[in-house]
Amino acid sequence: MSEQAELVPDPLSVEAEIPSSLMTINLGPSHPAMHGTVRLTVTLDGETIVEAIPEIGYLHRGFSKSSENATWHQVLPYTDRLNYVSPLLNNIGYIMGVEKLIGIKDTERSQYIRVLAGEISRITDHLTCVGAIGLELGAFTVFLYAIEARELLWDRISELCGARVTTSWTRVGGVANDLPQGWAEKLKDCLPRVLELTNEIDVLLTRNRIFVDRTRNIGVISGEEALDWGFTGPCLRACGVNYDVRKAHPYLVYDRMNFEVPLGSKGDTYDRYILRLEEIRQSHQIVLQCLEQMPPGPIIIDDWRYALPPKKDVFGSIEGVMAHFKLIMEGIQVPAGEVYVYSEGANGELGFHLVSNGKGKPYAIQVRGPGFPILSALPRLIKGHAIADLIPIFDSINMIGGEVEQ
Amino acid sequence: MDLTPEVKREPKRVNVEVDGKPVQADSRDNLIEAARRVGVTIPYFCYHPRLSIAGQCRICLVETSDAPGRLVPGCQVRVKEGLKITTTTPAVKDNQRGSMEFHLINHPVDCAICDQSGECKLQDYYMDYDHQPTRIRTSKLNKPKREVLGPMVVYDAERCIMCTRCVRFMDEIAQQPQLAVVNRGDHSLIATFPGQPLDSQYSGNTVDICPVGALLNRDFRFQSRVWFVNKSPSVCTGCANGCNVYVESRGNQAYRVLPRRNEEVNQVWMCDEGRLTYHPTNDSRIEWARTGRGDSQAAVGPKLATDRAVELLRPLALGPGIGVVVSAQCTVEEAAGAFLLGQQLKAQFFLGGKPFGQGDDFLIREDKNPNTNGVRMVAEAFGEKLHSLADLSQSNLKALVAFRTEGLDSMPLFLERLELFIAIAQNETAASAQAHVALPCNSVYEQAGTLVNYYGRLQRVFPSLPEARGDAQPGWSWSARILAGLGSTTAPRSAAAVFTQLVQRSQTLSGILLEQIPDDGLTLPGLQPAEWPARAPRPGSHSGPAAVVQTTPLGIKTAAVASGGA
Repeated sequence: MSEQAELVPDPLSVEAEIPSSLMTINLGPSHPAMHGTVRLTVTLDGETIVEAIPEIGYLHRGFSKSSENATWHQVLPYTDRLNYVSPLLNNIGYIMGVEKLIGIKDTERSQYIRVLAGEISRITDHLTCVGAIGLELGAFTVFLYAIEARELLWDRISELCGARVTTSWTRVGGVANDLPQGWAEKLKDCLPRVLELTNEIDVLLTRNRIFVDRTRNIGVISGEEALDWGFTGPCLRACGVNYDVRKAHPYLVYDRMNFEVPLGSKGDTYDRYILRLEEIRQSHQIVLQCLEQMPPGPIIIDDWRYALPPKKDVFGSIEGVMAHFKLIMEGIQVPAGEVYVYSEGANGELGFHLVSNGKGKPYAIQVRGPGFPILSALPRLIKGHAIADLIPIFDSINMIGGEVEQ
Repeated sequence: MDLTPEVKREPKRVNVEVDGKPVQADSRDNLIEAARRVGVTIPYFCYHPRLSIAGQCRICLVETSDAPGRLVPGCQVRVKEGLKITTTTPAVKDNQRGSMEFHLINHPVDCAICDQSGECKLQDYYMDYDHQPTRIRTSKLNKPKREVLGPMVVYDAERCIMCTRCVRFMDEIAQQPQLAVVNRGDHSLIATFPGQPLDSQYSGNTVDICPVGALLNRDFRFQSRVWFVNKSPSVCTGCANGCNVYVESRGNQAYRVLPRRNEEVNQVWMCDEGRLTYHPTNDSRIEWARTGRGDSQAAVGPKLATDRAVELLRPLALGPGIGVVVSAQCTVEEAAGAFLLGQQLKAQFFLGGKPFGQGDDFLIREDKNPNTNGVRMVAEAFGEKLHSLADLSQSNLKALVAFRTEGLDSMPLFLERLELFIAIAQNETAASAQAHVALPCNSVYEQAGTLVNYYGRLQRVFPSLPEARGDAQPGWSWSARILAGLGSTTAPRSAAAVFTQLVQRSQTLSGILLEQIPDDGLTLPGLQPAEWPARAPRPGSHSGPAAVVQTTPLGIKTAAVASGGA
C-alpha cells in the first residue's frame, strides 16, 4: 500500500481503526455478582479485560488477633465465620488442631458424627456455588433448586446444632450433642430430594448450549500452574490434579469411607462446575455410609480436664462445679507447643496453625483459608476474557470473604 | 517464740536434685521451697513459708532418696546435701489425687456463691491433681455456715479444710491467740473462745492466707467476683508504716486492699484498718469543682473554679495573713505543689493531717498519715518552716489554701471566719463545706506519686483506678493551674515533672531518678527513726525464706496479673 493510500481510510476498516483508550471500572464491593464484599478494579480495553485487581478486606474481622483474647473454646464461634457456607468444616478443622496440641483423640462415635456433619456442610457449600453460577448466568430456576436443597440440609443442621450457620458445634474431645431422636431418619428422608434437585440442576445446565458456551474454555488454568498458585480443593481437581486431603492424608474415619475423588481435565469454569456436582454425589455416599457404620457410644471424651462435666455433676457435686468453673473461666489448659493441622474444607485445604504457650488461651492462630491463593490467581484467570466472562469465572472459584479476609 | 532454731545457723548452699534437675538450695529450705527453685510445683494447703509447720493437709507428700518407697511431707522435711526428691512417681500422684478427694468429701457445692471462687486453691489443685468425678454417695456433713468471728472475718465451717493456717497466724504472727480448733474428726472446726471475738487488728490476714473460702472478709463479701477487679500495686495510706498493697478496682470504684510482699516493710501482712482505706476513695467524694459556700454553692467546672480561686487570691497574695495547710495525707508531689504555690503567695505553712491514734510494735504506727516524713522533707527542700495546726487556730490569717483538709474538720468556726478558704479536698467534710472554692482532689490510690514512710522509705504509688471521677485531679495539678492563673510560666505538667523539680531542690532526694526507685522502695538518708518498734521488719533482715516467689495472699497470681501504673 502506498503512502498516499494510507492517508485515505479504507471505508470497510473504519470501525476497527477507531482508537480506543483503556477504561477502569469498579466492580463491587456491593455489586450483587461479587459474592461477599470484594471489589475488583477492572481495566478494560473495549470489552476485553486487560487487568483485574481484587481488593479484599471489607470482611476483615481480625480473626487471628481476636482469637488471642479468647479461650480455646471461645475461638470456636469465630471459626463459624471463616467459610460461613460450610461452618461445620471449619469447626472440625480447628478442633482437630486443639486436640492434636493436647494429644487426645475424640471418641469413635464423635468421629463419625463429625464426618457426617462435615459432608452435609460440603454439600451445602457446593450447592451454593452451583446455584450462584446458574443465577448469575440467568438460570434463576437452578438457583431456586439449589437453595431448596440447601435449605433442607440447613434445617437438618439447625436441628443438630441449634443454628443454621453459626454452628459452633465441635468440642475438644467430641461434639456438643448427639444426633437428636429420629434425626437420622429425617436426614435419610430428605437426602433423596437433595439428590433429585441436584440431578435437576445437572439436567438443566450440564448439556445446556448457552451454559456450556459461557463456561467451556473460560478461565482455563493448567494443573501445574494451579499448583504453583497454591490451588487446592475442587479448583485444583478440576485441572486434573488428584489431591484430596481426605484421601491423601485421611483423618477422622475417612479411611473407612468408600468414595471417589472426581477429577476434571481442562481446568475451566465448566470443569469446576461439574466437579462440584459430582462431589455432592460423593458426599451423599459418605453421609449414607456414616449413618450405616456409626457405632453407639459417648460423643465426647470423659476427661474433665478438657470436656465439660455433665450438668448433673456440675449442679450436684463440688468436683463437677470446680471443673466447670475452671474450664469456663480459665479455659482448657493446652500444653505449650505448635501444630499445623489440615483438613479438606469445601474449597480446599483448610489449615490451622495453632501456637500455645501452655495457658488457657491461644498464643497465636493463623488460618490457611483455601480461598486466598485461589482468589490471588483471579487476575490471571480472567485476563484477556470479556467482561461478561468475569462473572462465571469468579463464581466458579467460590470466593468466600470470611475465610479469605478473616 | 522460736519455732525454727535452724534459721539461726548460717545458711549454707546444698546441692539437691528435684525430678532429676540439679538445684542449689538453701540449707533452710524444705522440699517445697527447694523444688520451687527449679519451677517444680509441690502442692500444699497448710504450709505457709512464714508459719510453723503443721503437716495437716498431706497433699505435699513426695518421695526422697532418703526413704525410697515412702512418702514424706515436703513441708516438714528439710533438704540435705545430695538429697534426691521425686514428685512424679505413681505413689506421689496417687496421694495427691487421694488427698484432693478427701478434702472434697464434705466440701459444699458453693463455687457459684463463694467469694473465693477464682482464687481458690481447691479449684486450682482439683484441676491439676484430681479431675475425677465424686465417688461419695452419702450426704455431706452440715456445719455452721456463717459464723461471724469478729468485725472483719466471717467463717464458713463447711468450706474449711482444717489447714489451721489461721490458728497458727494468730498465735505466731499476730501473737494474739484468738482462734482454735474445736471438736474432733470431720466435726472439727475453727472457733473463737467464748466471749472473745476475733478482734485482733491483724485478723484480715487470716482471710488472705485461708486457701479456701472458709474465712471471708466481711467488708468485701459479695461485693465483686475476683476476676472482675483489676489489681494494681500501691502503698497503704492508713498510717505512716507504708505497707505495700494491691488496690483492686473496677471503673472508678475500689473494691479491696490486699497486702503486697515487701520484706523490709510489711513482709506479707497488713492491718485491718489499712484494708478499709479504700472507702474514702469510693464514698462521699467531692466530684465537681465548685465555688461558693452554703446556698450559693455552685458546681462550675475546673476552669471557672480555678479562675475564681485566682481572682480571689490575687488581691491577697504577697500580703500578710495568707496560709497554706499541707496535709500529711498528700503525696510528696502534692506537697511540693503546695509549697510552690505557697511561696508564690508568700504564705505561712502549716502541717495538717489526721490526729495520732493507737500504734503497736509491729505494723501499726501512731501517726495515721502516710507521708508526714515526706511533707517535712519537702518543707526542708523549700526552706520553709512548718507550723502545727494548733498554731493555725491561734493565728489571725485572712486567707487559707488547704491541700487536703484532714485535721481542719475540728475548727469550723475558724474556717468560717476566714475571708477566703480554698480547699483542695477529696471528701465532703465539715471543713470542705466552708470552702469558698472547693477543688476535688484525687485520692492517693488514684494518682501517680511518691510517699515517704515512718522509716524514711520512699515508695511509689500509681493510678490504681481505671476511670476518673468527676473533676478530680491530683493536688499538684490544682496548684499548677492556680499558679498558671497567677501568671507563672513554670508550673509543672506531670507528677514526674514535680518530682524532678523537687530532686533539684532537695538534699535528701539528690540524685534520685523516679524510674530507678525499686518496687520495694528506697531508704532515704537521715530520715530513720531513733527507735524501731520491736517487731517491725527491718531493711536487710529478711526473716523469711530467701527465694520464695510466692506472693500474698496465696492462690492469687499477683505478679503475673498486677497491672496499672508504670
